Amino acid sequence: MTAAEASPPRPAAAVAVRPPRLPLSDYLRVGALLAISIAAAIGCAALLLSVTGSSPATVFGAMVSGSFGSRVALTATLNHTGPILLVALGALAATRSGLLNIGQEGQISIGALFGVAVGLAVDAPRGITLLLILATAAVAGAIWASLASLLRFTRGGSEVITTLLLNFVGFQVVSFAVNRPWLLQEDLPEGSVLSASPQSNPLPPAGHLPTLAQGPGFRLNSSITLAVGLALVLAFLLARTRWGFELRTVGLNPRAARRSGVSPALVGSGALAISGALAGLAGGVLLTGTAFRVNDGFSNNYGWEGLLAALVAGSVTLAVIPSSLLFGALRAGSGVLAATGVSPTIVGAVQALVVIAVTLPLLYLNRRRLRALLQRTGVSRT
Amino acid sequence: MSGGPASTTAARREVVLGLRSVSKRFGRVVACDDVSLDIGAGEIRGLLGQNGAGKSTLMKIVAGFVRPESGELTIHGKTLGFGDPVVAAERGIAMVHQHFSLVGPMPVWKNVTLSDRGHTRVDRSGVSRQITEVGRRYGLDVDPDAIVDDLSVGERQRVELLKCLRRQPDVLILDEPTSVLTREESTALFRVLRRLARERGQSVVLISHELDEMLEVTDRVTVLRDGRVVSTVESAEASADSLAHEMLGQDFAVSAEVLGLSVEGSHASRARTHAPPRRRAAPAGHDVPVLELADIKVTSAEGHALLDGVNLEIAAGEILGVAGVAGNGQEELTGLLSNLIGPDSGEVRVEGRPIRTGRGRQLGRAGVGVIPADRHDSGCVLEMTVAENLALGSLDGMVRWGVVRQQQLHELGRRLVADFRIITSSLGAPLRSLSGGNQQRVVLARELARKPCVLVAAEPTQGLDIGARGYIWDRLREAAATGTGILLISSDLAEIMALSHRVAVINRGRIIGTMPRADVDTAELGRMMGARTHDRG
Ligand SMILES: Nc1ncnc2c1ncn2[C@@H]1O[C@H](COP(=O)(O)OP(=O)(O)OP(=O)(O)O)[C@@H](O)[C@H]1O
Ligand SMILES: [Mg+2]
Repeated sequence: MTAAEASPPRPAAAVAVRPPRLPLSDYLRVGALLAISIAAAIGCAALLLSVTGSSPATVFGAMVSGSFGSRVALTATLNHTGPILLVALGALAATRSGLLNIGQEGQISIGALFGVAVGLAVDAPRGITLLLILATAAVAGAIWASLASLLRFTRGGSEVITTLLLNFVGFQVVSFAVNRPWLLQEDLPEGSVLSASPQSNPLPPAGHLPTLAQGPGFRLNSSITLAVGLALVLAFLLARTRWGFELRTVGLNPRAARRSGVSPALVGSGALAISGALAGLAGGVLLTGTAFRVNDGFSNNYGWEGLLAALVAGSVTLAVIPSSLLFGALRAGSGVLAATGVSPTIVGAVQALVVIAVTLPLLYLNRRRLRALLQRTGVSRT
Repeated sequence: MSGGPASTTAARREVVLGLRSVSKRFGRVVACDDVSLDIGAGEIRGLLGQNGAGKSTLMKIVAGFVRPESGELTIHGKTLGFGDPVVAAERGIAMVHQHFSLVGPMPVWKNVTLSDRGHTRVDRSGVSRQITEVGRRYGLDVDPDAIVDDLSVGERQRVELLKCLRRQPDVLILDEPTSVLTREESTALFRVLRRLARERGQSVVLISHELDEMLEVTDRVTVLRDGRVVSTVESAEASADSLAHEMLGQDFAVSAEVLGLSVEGSHASRARTHAPPRRRAAPAGHDVPVLELADIKVTSAEGHALLDGVNLEIAAGEILGVAGVAGNGQEELTGLLSNLIGPDSGEVRVEGRPIRTGRGRQLGRAGVGVIPADRHDSGCVLEMTVAENLALGSLDGMVRWGVVRQQQLHELGRRLVADFRIITSSLGAPLRSLSGGNQQRVVLARELARKPCVLVAAEPTQGLDIGARGYIWDRLREAAATGTGILLISSDLAEIMALSHRVAVINRGRIIGTMPRADVDTAELGRMMGARTHDRG
């Protein structure tokens, strides 16, 4: 349709249903930027590595081959990606409703803790035990996150602060439980000294995630399929259901939501619960897929990485899949690196450089989007 | 320069701002089509056109917010590159946008400095002094320390103006500045504009849908249609009638009523020219008022009464106009019926049943529709699509198993886009990409299409071109004819007189009088509305 030709009601001339896009040049520019920033990151990392006495070529080689180079490596990447993606999905559900959940580390830990407790207590057939563990983990994570919504929607406490602080409470709860023989502490054979890092008993095989593929030195568990499946479900829910519609409305304009009869508090606490449930489920998946026990420091940054993956993905729901894959690969690659004797601090720095290199162009893209928006509205923030 | 009519000299003045063959398209929508324009020093130029004609886009191109595909822009004869608002501002172009761009929780002085560049530290007292001084010079009094959220719309407009005037621009662009202002505020604004033009030789571009305003304040008027310049006329030689002709083309007849109202002198005589609309007998079984407000009290956080015992009744099929000076409780009245605030005491009844407001779905389910005065506040979601905005709050019929049925969503969208002539590149476009008047149409279309039993219409035609205004008036009358009770809250007396069956006057949070349309004495009405100025300070 062109501009108003105002004659009595006329049929809408073929109204296409297509979201608007940025000009192609912007995407090309982002692509070029991505190439440049990755090159720059590699350069910086190489400098850092040679200064600290490692060979950049060996390190990069190890990172690439450690994440995608072999079936063992690929399996490690995918086994990391599953839980990261689950966390990221949860983070996304919260941000879409206008809330920022940064308590995934705690929610993972609490989920896994209750999961292992149930797994060790029940004696049921395989499928049932596993389902019970995962369901418990999800519910525990949801309840943990809901503590934050309770504070937010009754007392007005910012969920950013409360979810963050609940992380530390969560760590303490786990630590307490695995340090008490009458709770979840491992049963040690008579006379043996306590292990340095206290942990729970291992889950019985009935509580293990099914294996997708295995071979010498690797076992690919089904967390990745579960996570990708849930990503598709969440994308559908957000885009197509009444719940998703209302959630987005609340996130984008709470007053318009209230006017149309949607309660921001109700929708928001639902989103936060789902966010916690997905983080708790990630904890359950880590437990039943790779760790099989719970110990101090169980969450091991999966929470933060998932949160970052969600932030990198930005406004496109399904973009969390590739962004989580990136974080999973980095994790696998740096795992191998650590084994080659490079200091973990340096490994961390290299990892961070890669993350920055990938996110910067995406931030630029978001800035362009924002600018386009500002141009449309004519808001001037020069 | 003297204050006399400058229209004849305007044409011969030095050209300050020049546009050559500027074109801009958004997807399939052509917003500006080969536009050329010359604005002289000290000239006040009007820009007129239907909703979506490309007025805002053209001016955003001038101010550097939008980059056109082709064309040239000159200022004082020198070429100015496109697409850089900072450079445009440095070269003396300032723009007040159609939708305010102020940061609500910040004080005025901070807002004013927001677009300054290169400052590491803002000199607060210096800025405050400047605001007071510039404000005094132009009669734009604003307290520099006031928080923007606490200001009335008129005051916010003043802040936007101060933001521009502080930099002494050569070209001042105002995009529909008066659509949110009262008559008095508009008149005051025009005084400022004339002083700017006559005394300081600054050029002004004014976008407005009010033809009489245009004729009153501008030297020349440029009419745009479908992104093209149709004509540029000397205001002194034009009439509202001729302008409307230029602007609407063959669609002219549609707006005869609105036009009739806007050409005749004062508000009072305007309104009289039209027989009050007849009120249809209420359908049987509807003798209960559709909406009743019983002794509603709403108190602000600081403890003063915003609504102070409001009693109102609207019968099915009745249009009750609420007249009053802005800021006397209209906003709270809309907020109450928009589910945004709950009353401290009193009761809202819809079709006789008490309804809880402030939360929950009761109000919407009972069939209360609202067109809020500020569409961006609670009327729409700018980042959601046009189709989604058209369905906001009326999903009930199109959900199965919790899934919104896309086909029905688009069906509704297509129908409303056609009925209300909403110009959009697609149903999937974000609402933000629509022109101001078209965003308003989305809100109107949605609320009218729901066939509510009560419709609260606050400033329903704000930002609409005169063609659409008449159409919306007809739709409101039509809705009333089918039994909807309409609460019309408007700062435009002409609109109230044209539509209402009864008129109520709101003053300091109270309804101080209600009378049938036929008995309205405009002078008396004005006196009742203005009563507050004496005791309110
Ligand atoms: N960012 C954008 N993306 C897509 N389309 C746009 C965008 N900005 C403007 N348009 C389209 O360009 C056309 C002109 O819009 P513009 O805002 O200039 O109209 P206007 O004359 O100011 O109308 P109004 O009187 O309603 O404010 C409209 O059809 C609008 O939908
Ligand atoms: Mg506009």
